[in-house]
Amino acid sequence: MNKLIIRRIVATATAAAFAAGVAIGGGATPSTAATETPVTGGTLQYFTHSEQFPALDPANMYTGRDIAFFGAYIHRTLVQYRPVAGAAGSSLVPDLATNTGVPSNKAKTWTYTLRKGITWEDGSAITCADIKYGWSRAFATDVFTEGPAYALAWLDIPEGAYAGPYKKTGQDLFDKAIVCSGDTITFKLKRSVPDFNYFLTYPTTGPIKASADTGDKYDLKPLSSGPYKIQKYSINDELVMVRNDKWNKSSDPIRTPYPDKITVTFGLNEDVRDQIVLDDSKPNAISLDALQPANNIKFFSDPANADRRMNNYDPYTSYLAANVSKGHLDCLLVRKAIFFAFDTQALINLSGGVVYYGEPGDSPVKPVLGMDYAPTTGNIHDPNYKIDGNPEYAKTLLAQAKKSCPTAYNRATNKSQGVIYYRADTAGNKKAAVLVEAALAKAGIVVNTVYKPAGTYNANLTAYKKQTDILSGGWGADWANASTVIPELWGEGCCNYTQNKTTNEYKGFIRNVNKALVELDREKQAKMWHSLAQFGMDQYWYIRTVFGKSQQTWGSKIGGIYYWEPQGSFGFGQIYVKK
Amino acid sequence: MSTFLEVKNLHVTFPTEDGAVLASNNVSYSVALGETLAIVGESGSGKSVANLAVMGLHNPHRTQISGEAILHLPEGPIDVLSAAPETVRRLRGKAMSMIFQDPMSALHPFYTIGNQIAEAWALYNEGSKEDGIKRAVEMLDLVGIPDAAKRVHEYPHQFSGGMRQRVMIAMALVNNPSLLIADEPTTALDVTVQSQILRLLADLQKEFNMAVILITHDLGVVAEVADRVSVMYSGRIVESAAIDEIFYNSTHPYTRGLLNSIPRVDNHGKGTRLRAIPGQPPSLISVPKGCAFAARCEFISHVPGGLCIASNPDLLEKAPDHYSRCHLTGAQVIDIAAKNLAHQDNGAK
Amino acid sequence: MIKYVSQRLLYTVMLLLLVSLSVYFIFDLLPVDPARLVCSKQCTPALVEANRHRLGLDVPVLQQWWNFIYGLFAGRNYAEGAAALHCPAPAFGYSFSRHECVTTILAKAFPVTLSLAVLAFILWMTLGVSLGVLAARKKGSIFDKASTVFVLIGTSLPTFLTGVLVVIFIILKFNLVDPLEIGNWSNPFTDPLGWLSTFIWPAATLAFAYAATYTRFTRSNVIETMTEDFIRTARAKGLSEKIILRKHTLRAALAPLATMAGLDFAGLLGGAIITEKVFGLDGLGGISINAVTSSYDLPIIVGTTIVASAFVVVANLIVDITYAFIDPRVRHA
Repeated sequence: MNKLIIRRIVATATAAAFAAGVAIGGGATPSTAATETPVTGGTLQYFTHSEQFPALDPANMYTGRDIAFFGAYIHRTLVQYRPVAGAAGSSLVPDLATNTGVPSNKAKTWTYTLRKGITWEDGSAITCADIKYGWSRAFATDVFTEGPAYALAWLDIPEGAYAGPYKKTGQDLFDKAIVCSGDTITFKLKRSVPDFNYFLTYPTTGPIKASADTGDKYDLKPLSSGPYKIQKYSINDELVMVRNDKWNKSSDPIRTPYPDKITVTFGLNEDVRDQIVLDDSKPNAISLDALQPANNIKFFSDPANADRRMNNYDPYTSYLAANVSKGHLDCLLVRKAIFFAFDTQALINLSGGVVYYGEPGDSPVKPVLGMDYAPTTGNIHDPNYKIDGNPEYAKTLLAQAKKSCPTAYNRATNKSQGVIYYRADTAGNKKAAVLVEAALAKAGIVVNTVYKPAGTYNANLTAYKKQTDILSGGWGADWANASTVIPELWGEGCCNYTQNKTTNEYKGFIRNVNKALVELDREKQAKMWHSLAQFGMDQYWYIRTVFGKSQQTWGSKIGGIYYWEPQGSFGFGQIYVKK
Repeated sequence: MSTFLEVKNLHVTFPTEDGAVLASNNVSYSVALGETLAIVGESGSGKSVANLAVMGLHNPHRTQISGEAILHLPEGPIDVLSAAPETVRRLRGKAMSMIFQDPMSALHPFYTIGNQIAEAWALYNEGSKEDGIKRAVEMLDLVGIPDAAKRVHEYPHQFSGGMRQRVMIAMALVNNPSLLIADEPTTALDVTVQSQILRLLADLQKEFNMAVILITHDLGVVAEVADRVSVMYSGRIVESAAIDEIFYNSTHPYTRGLLNSIPRVDNHGKGTRLRAIPGQPPSLISVPKGCAFAARCEFISHVPGGLCIASNPDLLEKAPDHYSRCHLTGAQVIDIAAKNLAHQDNGAK
Repeated sequence: MIKYVSQRLLYTVMLLLLVSLSVYFIFDLLPVDPARLVCSKQCTPALVEANRHRLGLDVPVLQQWWNFIYGLFAGRNYAEGAAALHCPAPAFGYSFSRHECVTTILAKAFPVTLSLAVLAFILWMTLGVSLGVLAARKKGSIFDKASTVFVLIGTSLPTFLTGVLVVIFIILKFNLVDPLEIGNWSNPFTDPLGWLSTFIWPAATLAFAYAATYTRFTRSNVIETMTEDFIRTARAKGLSEKIILRKHTLRAALAPLATMAGLDFAGLLGGAIITEKVFGLDGLGGISINAVTSSYDLPIIVGTTIVASAFVVVANLIVDITYAFIDPRVRHA
């Protein structure tokens, strides 16, 4: 499922979890963080249109913004991303553990040792049993349904055999999969997971004190292991965090708390929210949301705001998936013709420019994923590619298609049928659809846009994908490994909208995907992803990809702010309020 | 009998978008204490308009009034048309009272009748609310409402139409007014109740020695109680005389028409056919140059030279104290009417 | 009277049962699967099923409704084992997005909605009635024409627009309220000023629209009443214009207003959805719109719908009974 949109409550394009990568030009993080001395004290305020965080309970936490936010303040995990700007931010550092994990048995076993002196907000020590209990909660699918499911997929427990800590069915199996021995915790996995340690940055892998667990209600007041603790959390009102005096700097190598108090105001009217940003009326406050499009362009075009904003690649690649199953876009030449006829420039202009739109992409893997990204050949690098469309070339491709796959050709050029394109019924989509239809018409391709109710569009994607020829979606990696991209989008994962399941060619592709997933040599694994990405792009499974961007804004008295690439969000832990 | 109200040359005009409506055109009449003047006419003839002007009940922003209406009060005469509104207000209920056609809607639905009578009483009397209610009970007794002490606490909708009109009368008389204007007081009532109310009015008039103006379209009602009658047509008085003169020696074709349209059992012992006056009264906006009744008049052929169309006759004394507005003489009218009646009787046989 | 009231109460209960049943059927028919909406990115069919069970949607819709009704009287349990939750009667359900029993959520939201409704009611009744009476008395004057303009603007501007205008051009422009404090709840008894500063603007926004309607209604009722026969009677009695207006005209002209006001007030008690949303108030309207638009929280939607309908139905009853005291004709009918 398209996680960007399927997530409830996240009303704006804040980030979902993803990891590592290289810094991309175009976006700019103000350099103030490096040069100024952080100020301790004061109140740091955040505000948002949403009425609550999707989750405070680690077991339900999946969006990058929230992981970055609560990871910086209250939820510690065994390992963390390095809290710095740029590519270095995507490397792992120990947090509750003393190391970033020791793999053995072909990465089927991972071992961690807990740090000394780590405590909960009630003063009690964080133990190995707490980590283990925290992991067990992911299995209680009768209580938690919104967190990542990697624990269930990887731990060496037969599927469905363990029902979590509340029902305790299959507890013995769980106890064998995670073993505590003093301060050492060992995870036993079903298969090799070379990138297991990246998953340990997710709060769902962190500790939970069993005696403090209140099940579903834990979300309202989770016990803190970080430098702040929750004083008040009132949905659609505010979250107030104050310093946790039981937290100890000597046991935490990565966090240095600055503000005395941190508040989040929920449920702000969108116009009020934007006005606060435009007027800088709350200089010590940060918006957790993106501005509304018109206000966004207004704010970002005013040089006076240069110190209060940033614009970066977000974790997402958006794409148009071609349905390649029989009777749909099963002809490569037709798919290519659509690709080359596309007028990307018109869509960029519609969204206010490349600054807000993002850039045409050449892979489902985004450059921010680092070593797993390599430029592909063909597609946007093809000499025939023009950003404002090349209908002439598309016509020559169609002319070939007329001979080699007449059925698909007829479908795409026949006025009474055309290429079926299901879109959510929104004003923006309607404008875009006109541009798309016009561009493809120049090449003789008929687009038959079908509008579906916007509110239920995403919930129905699974049904739509079999009916439409083109489906739009977006995807962000869970961490800096294409293992959380290519298998999901083109393999047997959740969100393969290309419908390609049968051909021998495709079966070979899947075999290679599964090989790459368990490849222990990271360099070699990266090369395997490169060739898999190239394969799919050569097949034009995606007939358009865009590397998206996101914009953030804050008040003039905010210091220490930077873009934390692995989470696609602020590095919250270093933010302070200037005097 | 001393004259109490004297109306002279009363004009009442309502400006409308279509033009000025001259609802009361040079109207004069008078009524003395102990006397009942009936003003008779079809609806729209201006009979209510003239009397509402006397009461000062027209909206001053939407009415133009000229002329005089003098009340001969013990403390001296006063022209209510030129007096200050506040002065006139203090005469209402005390010197002059009015009751209206529809007793259903003329009483406030949300207040008990006791409350409404006491309110009127309290305007001109010192006393507690209880005193007012006590006075209301007396008045209700007087107007013949049984079990008044109990019913005084009831609401208008709990009374029948006739009873409500009795309540209205009680309320109008609570301050012993010298003039009572009764505007179609029996029109909305059953026939049997009508005569009860009229008898009551007559009795009360004697008791209080009031001047009464009875506005009605029904000559049958007039016959029961009136001393004098003024007939109005199209904003003007067309005939004015003592009651017997009107009934037996009417000198105006319109009055004759009215008389023919009521059932009567007179001492001739002959049944006569009822006849409505054909046609409609003229518009009050563009008053015709000639006689207003000309278009409907059965006597028009007896007037030579189209005089009826050309000029409006004046209100002249055709017999002693008998005024009529017709180009024919009184004798001519009576003569022609008698011939017509004979002709009609022959036709009936 | 007792028979009448008990009949009406019975009818009220039946109506509320029907309302709740239709809410369940409507949501059953919608092409949205709440179990899928609150499912992880790595959603599997098994997870969707688990979720459906958790949300109580794995039984036929009639059974869901019956469970709801049962919970209203007997309380209800959610989840199993050590994670079990109990909502005592009257249980409107459990919100898995807000992690609380819906009854608790409603009880928290109600004072917010009540505050807004009461303040708005006072404002619009004062403004609407006095403007209406003045306009009627000075019919055709400049003032009357100005009031007509006010009525036109008030009835044609949608609340979401006036609300945003109030926020941006009054509150923010003149820095009247800390923008982050807009919509903060303060106890009216311990912090009356804080309460007032929170509620005066949304109440004024609401009152603006209502006052326009009430001005128009009052004006036309007063004008109409002034032509009534009983007003002429009052004048014929010799009463002064002041008393005629106060005692006779207004009493009759404003009586129908009582019905309208009672029903409008009750409607607001169910939550002023747009105003609460614009001003970030967590009243019944605010939580219901959030439940519909973002969390798809069926128990909250059902709860707020039932409560809102109950207010309207009960208000109808109260208004009918009250009207009998205002208008004696109804009492004796």
